[in-house]
Amino acid sequence: MQINRTGIWLIGFFGLLGLAMCLGPPLLDANAETSLIVASTGAIFVLVAAGLGLYARHAKAKAARQDWVFRNGIKGSATILEVGNSHTTVNEMPLMKLQLALEIPGVGRSEVSRREVMPVFTANCMKEGLVLPAYANPEDPSEFILVW
Amino acid sequence: MADLDATYAAFAAARGLEPLPALGLGSLTPLLVESKHGQVAPAARGRLAGEVDGIVGQLAYTRNKTFRFNVALVEVHASTALVPRLFCIRSGRSTRDDEFYGFEARHSKLWTESTALNQRYTISTSPFQDPNWMRQLFSPALVDYLASKPPADFSFELAYGILLGSVEDDDPGADGLTALCEATAHVAARIARECEE
Repeated sequence: MQINRTGIWLIGFFGLLGLAMCLGPPLLDANAETSLIVASTGAIFVLVAAGLGLYARHAKAKAARQDWVFRNGIKGSATILEVGNSHTTVNEMPLMKLQLALEIPGVGRSEVSRREVMPVFTANCMKEGLVLPAYANPEDPSEFILVW
Repeated sequence: MADLDATYAAFAAARGLEPLPALGLGSLTPLLVESKHGQVAPAARGRLAGEVDGIVGQLAYTRNKTFRFNVALVEVHASTALVPRLFCIRSGRSTRDDEFYGFEARHSKLWTESTALNQRYTISTSPFQDPNWMRQLFSPALVDYLASKPPADFSFELAYGILLGSVEDDDPGADGLTALCEATAHVAARIARECEE
């Protein structure tokens, strides 16, 4: 997953609005009860923005790690043995459960499971027997990326 | 709709295609996902252009407002192993007006040296796509073709061996359908040739 322009806009919107709601009432000399109610709502907005920001940072770090494995990894293949739909969706994208036979040259064959959030058109193409490229970390072959 | 049906009937008759009232193409590309089961109506099947066979039809769906695309679908099976997904979408095209998600599946924007191509299209692919192969695919000839020849709104999506060319138009007329089919067939032939090499 990666943040897009809408995500950046949402973080900015919730963050700035939340801060304004936390700081505005005291600066405008609103009464204590009003300040508390508005500031509580503002704090929730700030927390939402912070949560989205942390998730975006985590996604960016994960992407950088995957890029490293792609550039430095051993290219192999992953054959889909079993496809399961968790019936969970993230932004209209299904979370797929894949059972894979991973074959990495010099490492061998192993069966692994992987959960991936995929666009619908990709999820529809995940069928038993489909062979996808995979790249394994040469230092730790259990870490791999699946190219879909 | 009567005019559109007549357009497709005339187009199919002129080019020897099999006319079809409706056809479900499946949720095979991002644009087809928008319409339920990728249904196109009306449609026609057969030789689109050159040596390329496929299906042409109108895809309509509603997400707050109704979108109408004329699409041409061609299979390029050999591409799955080399380029699982590649999207070349006309800059500024909108396929939804009710999408407010801040996170999406990872993709990489493809950079090309052609200013004309970059102005006209947004090209994206898998983040783990072989960049050398992409440079070979986007040869100067293909770049020049995409930048100057296809219909103004032409875009294409390649996903797991399915190539979908499209233009947004209520009724493009026989000339518009011909241009769509020829552009899609040209791109399909180019991808297939690069896959063979």
